[in-house]
Amino acid sequence: MDLSVTIGRTTMPNPVGVASGTFGYGSEYEQLIDVDSIGALYTKAVTRAARPGNEIPRIVETTAGLLNSIGLANVGQERFVTEKYPSLRERACTVIVNVAGDVEDDYVETVEFLEEHAPLSGYELNVSCPNVKAGGLAIGTNPELVEHVTTRVRSVTERPVIVKLTPNVTDPAEIARAAEAGGADAISCMNTLVGMAIDVKNLRTVLPGKTGGLSGPAVRPIGVALAYRVSRAVEIPLIGIGGIDGPDAALQYLLAGAVAVQVGTANFVDPTVTGRTIDGIRTFMQEHNLQRVGEIASLLR
Amino acid sequence: MYAYNPLLLRIGVPGLLLYTRARQLRHVAKDPSNITFFTHTRAAITLLAERLMRHLTPKVLSNSQVSDRYFEMDFEWPHNAPPPSPGSFFTVRVSESEIPLLRRPFAFSGFSRGNSTASMLYERRGTATRQLTTRSPGETIDILAPLGVPFPLPRSETLPVLIAGGIGMGPIFYLAAELHSSGQEAVLIVGARTAGIVPDRTEFQLVETILATDDGSAGCHGTVTDALQNRPDLLDRRLEYFACGPLPMLRAVHQHAKARNECCWVSVEQTMGCAVGACMGCAVRVRGPAEYARVCTEGPVFDSEEIVWT
Repeated sequence: MDLSVTIGRTTMPNPVGVASGTFGYGSEYEQLIDVDSIGALYTKAVTRAARPGNEIPRIVETTAGLLNSIGLANVGQERFVTEKYPSLRERACTVIVNVAGDVEDDYVETVEFLEEHAPLSGYELNVSCPNVKAGGLAIGTNPELVEHVTTRVRSVTERPVIVKLTPNVTDPAEIARAAEAGGADAISCMNTLVGMAIDVKNLRTVLPGKTGGLSGPAVRPIGVALAYRVSRAVEIPLIGIGGIDGPDAALQYLLAGAVAVQVGTANFVDPTVTGRTIDGIRTFMQEHNLQRVGEIASLLR
Repeated sequence: MYAYNPLLLRIGVPGLLLYTRARQLRHVAKDPSNITFFTHTRAAITLLAERLMRHLTPKVLSNSQVSDRYFEMDFEWPHNAPPPSPGSFFTVRVSESEIPLLRRPFAFSGFSRGNSTASMLYERRGTATRQLTTRSPGETIDILAPLGVPFPLPRSETLPVLIAGGIGMGPIFYLAAELHSSGQEAVLIVGARTAGIVPDRTEFQLVETILATDDGSAGCHGTVTDALQNRPDLLDRRLEYFACGPLPMLRAVHQHAKARNECCWVSVEQTMGCAVGACMGCAVRVRGPAEYARVCTEGPVFDSEEIVWT
């Protein structure tokens, strides 16, 4: 049975990854699970300069969901190389660096910098963070900007380039086609949904930045629908994200047309979720006599 | 010294020396450049504390209401798990369902090495804690523990003043018990809105205890710092503060300590996502270039001088 998934020139050992921002740089979970058994580790976003992150509080739980406004808090590309890269380089799993920036040049320069100082398996372009004033959504909601940044990043690396889409647009498939036209190897779909929670007693929003990004089981049906729609709009593979908390949710995405998935918020709830999900997919493939994980999508009636 | 402090056993002599050295330095010269040194020391201690974390499913031994608002749950401590320390905490997966979704953090309110029993004091406040009150002896709970950097050892020349406010009582009671069992003199100040929420604790017999209530229903009518001001005999001595409670209380204790140029340790609270240092959700404002520190792994206990009090 073959669980591997190939994106560009990189082959992930299995289709279950951990989503950027929910797993740090891997070492944070070392005491709890075998990190190397994960299919792909998508790092916390890396930016050119260090970012302290947004005002506090940064997270609030909503019904079956998590609303966050972290603000891409990270140590910046230089300290990423000295502090995070040494352990990431030793990983047996695929390691994809999530890259974010304010403007197009930031993405290109960070990828160039990492190509030279910290080459790993590939890059995920975060053009969909809802919690920063510049970059993020401002790029990810505009097909021309997405195509342009993808083209420029494509020109500086041979490694897989994955573009992470936002659901906060009328037609994410249009953005996906723009990424494909720019030369992306894959789409990851989706980043968090813009949401707001208001403290009725104190008459103010819970998050100081007013809105945050919603994740967790609450958003899963939206993610599955997008995986279904967007995977049919492009030729390149789609990696499904959104409320995946076990085999059932992951299989929904794989049946919808995703070739792989990322587990996010569920890592906080149950650190063993990735292992359970991989096992569940394997069992499902046995039950359906499938040899390759890519055959799952063909089962959907 | 604590009679038994597993963190100190595990961080080894270099870690302990670094920590002690950092504290001495800061008190020798209170200049801002020490913050850089502090930041590095905190990072080292954090790395060591993170190594203790385990995913455990201990059995509940008892779970009962101990005051108007508070409950206490005792659970078995697995023999192979690193024991907690006062100030360290754990997260509980309250429900198998999606509501409530996230694990909830709780401080240890006691630990018995002999009985392999750990305790948590918690307040029935919302959906998650209401569900916790229904757990019966014999059931298991799913926890990540022990987490965070605990309270340090009191400096030998100071009198430790342990200050608890509201549900912050849990870790302070634990600290009081540990200090008592190691023969260390300490004073416990417990602040609460009203007398009814304060549980009856054996620690009150072991350590000199001062009660302060907002409504005057028991002890001193006022705050914990009011209660302290009423004790000139204590104020004559060199004090060191160990506090856990609501932010305004921690701020007041910090200001009190700062005015006297004394050391103050605060255990702070923040909504947590992962609780293992990955998500950057549970931030607190600190001095220094990083601007924020993670409460889960760099705290929850901080030197009050490190915190940016707003």
